[in-house]
Amino acid sequence: MYKFIKQYADTMTSANIYPMISLFIFLVFFIVLLVLVKKMRKERVTELSNIPFEKDELTNSTL
Amino acid sequence: MQVEKFYYDNKIVRNFAYATVIWGAVGMLVGLWVALQLVFPTILNITQYFSFGRLRPLHTNAVIFAFVGNGLFMGVYYSLQRLCKARMFSDKLSYIHFWGWQLIIVAAAITLPLGLSQGAEYAELIWPIDLAITVIWVIFGWNMFGTIIKRREKHLYVAIWFYIATFVTVAVLHLVRSGELPYTWLKSYSFYSGVQDALVQWWYGHNAVAFFLTTPYLGLMYYFMPKAANRPVYSYRLSIIHFWALIFLYIWAGPHHLLYTALPNWAQSLGVVFSFMLIFPSWGGMINGLLTLRGAWDRVRDDVILKFMVVAVTCYGMATFEGPMLSLKSVSAISHYTDWIIAHVHIGALGWNGMLTFGVLYWLVPRIYKTSLHSKKMANNHFWLGTLGIIFYAIPMYWAGFQQSSMWKQFTEAGQLKYTFLETVTYMRPFYAMRSLGGTLYLIGVIFMIVNLYKTVKAGKLVANEEAEAAPLQKEYVKHTGEHWHRWIERRPVQFMILSLVVILIGGLIELVPTFLIKSNVPTIASVKPYTPLELEGRDIYVREGCYVCHSQMIRPFRSETERYGEYSKAGEFVYDHPFQWGSKRTGPDLAREGTGNLKKTDGWHFRHFREPSSMSLGSVMPAYPFLLENDLDLSNTEAKINAMRTLGVPYEKGYEKNAVADLVAQSKLISANLVNDSIRISPKKEVIALIAYVQRLGVDISKNKTATSNK
Repeated sequence: MYKFIKQYADTMTSANIYPMISLFIFLVFFIVLLVLVKKMRKERVTELSNIPFEKDELTNSTL
Repeated sequence: MQVEKFYYDNKIVRNFAYATVIWGAVGMLVGLWVALQLVFPTILNITQYFSFGRLRPLHTNAVIFAFVGNGLFMGVYYSLQRLCKARMFSDKLSYIHFWGWQLIIVAAAITLPLGLSQGAEYAELIWPIDLAITVIWVIFGWNMFGTIIKRREKHLYVAIWFYIATFVTVAVLHLVRSGELPYTWLKSYSFYSGVQDALVQWWYGHNAVAFFLTTPYLGLMYYFMPKAANRPVYSYRLSIIHFWALIFLYIWAGPHHLLYTALPNWAQSLGVVFSFMLIFPSWGGMINGLLTLRGAWDRVRDDVILKFMVVAVTCYGMATFEGPMLSLKSVSAISHYTDWIIAHVHIGALGWNGMLTFGVLYWLVPRIYKTSLHSKKMANNHFWLGTLGIIFYAIPMYWAGFQQSSMWKQFTEAGQLKYTFLETVTYMRPFYAMRSLGGTLYLIGVIFMIVNLYKTVKAGKLVANEEAEAAPLQKEYVKHTGEHWHRWIERRPVQFMILSLVVILIGGLIELVPTFLIKSNVPTIASVKPYTPLELEGRDIYVREGCYVCHSQMIRPFRSETERYGEYSKAGEFVYDHPFQWGSKRTGPDLAREGTGNLKKTDGWHFRHFREPSSMSLGSVMPAYPFLLENDLDLSNTEAKINAMRTLGVPYEKGYEKNAVADLVAQSKLISANLVNDSIRISPKKEVIALIAYVQRLGVDISKNKTATSNK
């Protein structure tokens, strides 16, 4: 397997494609992340963000 | 459901808190000392053990791994237990982790002044210490995951994601960077050479900043800031985006440390693009931190803890705005190698890490001692001293950086360089003095804190085991209908770790693998030959003395650099350099062509310069190296070094190690004889001879290539 990759890589003339591939991977990752986060339910979000606090701890909170 | 009673371990939190305070003061004191060494070089470089080149790595390692390291463990051990509603997995592991880490720090504090160094920034520690770090890091991870697994809170709060990413990424970075071949029980050579070593180094170096100084502290921000403000984090959704985008992007950013160098262009572009994009998640995180104080801003006026935290997060915002800007090639052309970078990193270290650590300490110590802070006024004084200290540190360094760069690049009307390098050095000294003042203020603030915390501790009593209760987790988790994906993963720490690992490996692999495999990335140069044994020994002295902290060996393709130093550096020149020594700062001039062209000096010049730099360069801030004239060169490892280099791919002929010492002796006699012509009588056995041989070799090979081409 390693030999195969090395042989392929040795004969590759240009690696300029790498930044483009990377950017593409990130954009896809980021867009999927945005969509999924957007779909979260508000009550769940509130519940999760209150994890650091004990039940009666939040006195002045807006919640 | 029946609630369970259990106890939080506060003793381990207390231990790490003490350690961060003590090592912080030590690390900062060493920092102040090295800053003053640049102002008073002859007075303060008193022994070989405390020369600038050896102490500066001690300062950086102490601040990063001892001060921030212990600070992050303090915060993790406090918050993880509460977020998981469980005591740490094992008191024994906590104990081993604590003492193991302190022993590593002590070992670093002993070996670095002794000159035992690998010569890679922030990865200077020798291989046995590298091994110990691996063991202790695994113990930390084991303890952390053990706690997460036995938790009573189903979901992993955002702070814990940052802790997991820190653990897994630092493990990967440390393992890859520590790729080295030992040739004695203390010394080793890097597996990688030249360009590849440079890429590994800055992939590691930048991500040490990212995953040791940033992600764990973001975790602390997400826990302690809501606690101090008594309100939940501004946006939990934003924290999810912040986390995943940040860890995905950070890992690609390393090559921005190598812009305009011999690193392949595609890797440089990759680094620039991803570094620039980092501004978005970083600022998302900063905004999330600051907006946590929504509706509580009036409290910032009176609450000193919030003040520390606000300055910390603001400095995080400043540093993460500046970072992407510095990564643009045109900005890097100006800033690289200058004191601008020193200013930038200190906004991060003093502002972000320092102020957040102090805020957490003031919040946490009175709590675990069941008392209140001894003096709010004193803490306020600390806050102002710290803030002014940062300003007095950063402004002179920014100014110095711009000035340095502009002086290096200016030409006269006749087309010659306007300033000698030495003129730019002497110009910097007042700025170095002012920076020391900033550092002093900051350190005085820390001393205020030490007194304040000491009195707080004296007034209270440690609640070593803090009682708490919570319901155990249900064995069968009832899945909510329409459950969100992130809730799913938040319940599964191991899958979370694997996903984090995959995310960071994508960047790491795309960046590193092609550079290692594609031949065209490092075109070979026929005239570049391995070092002679004497030059190799000299190079090891160069590494030992930490010359790389002030001298670069990488000429960028700018007219201002090629005029000053000679032809720009090529990737193929460094193929036998284990480790690479490109450096990242020019407190002194570049040395890549020191042995050739206009820069060539006599052996006698170098001898006198090492003995007393200011005798040859009036106003030089370089330490003197009189001990190199007294110490005999240690030849006991020469054979092992040649063997190790051959194993790493340096083409020494088989059996050459047997002749190496004879060759070395012959070459040193030549240099010694040469010095006689300069009215210098010295035994050929002295270390200085080897260092002269190495310095005189720098840049020579490529000039031979030119001669050969023109002869053809």
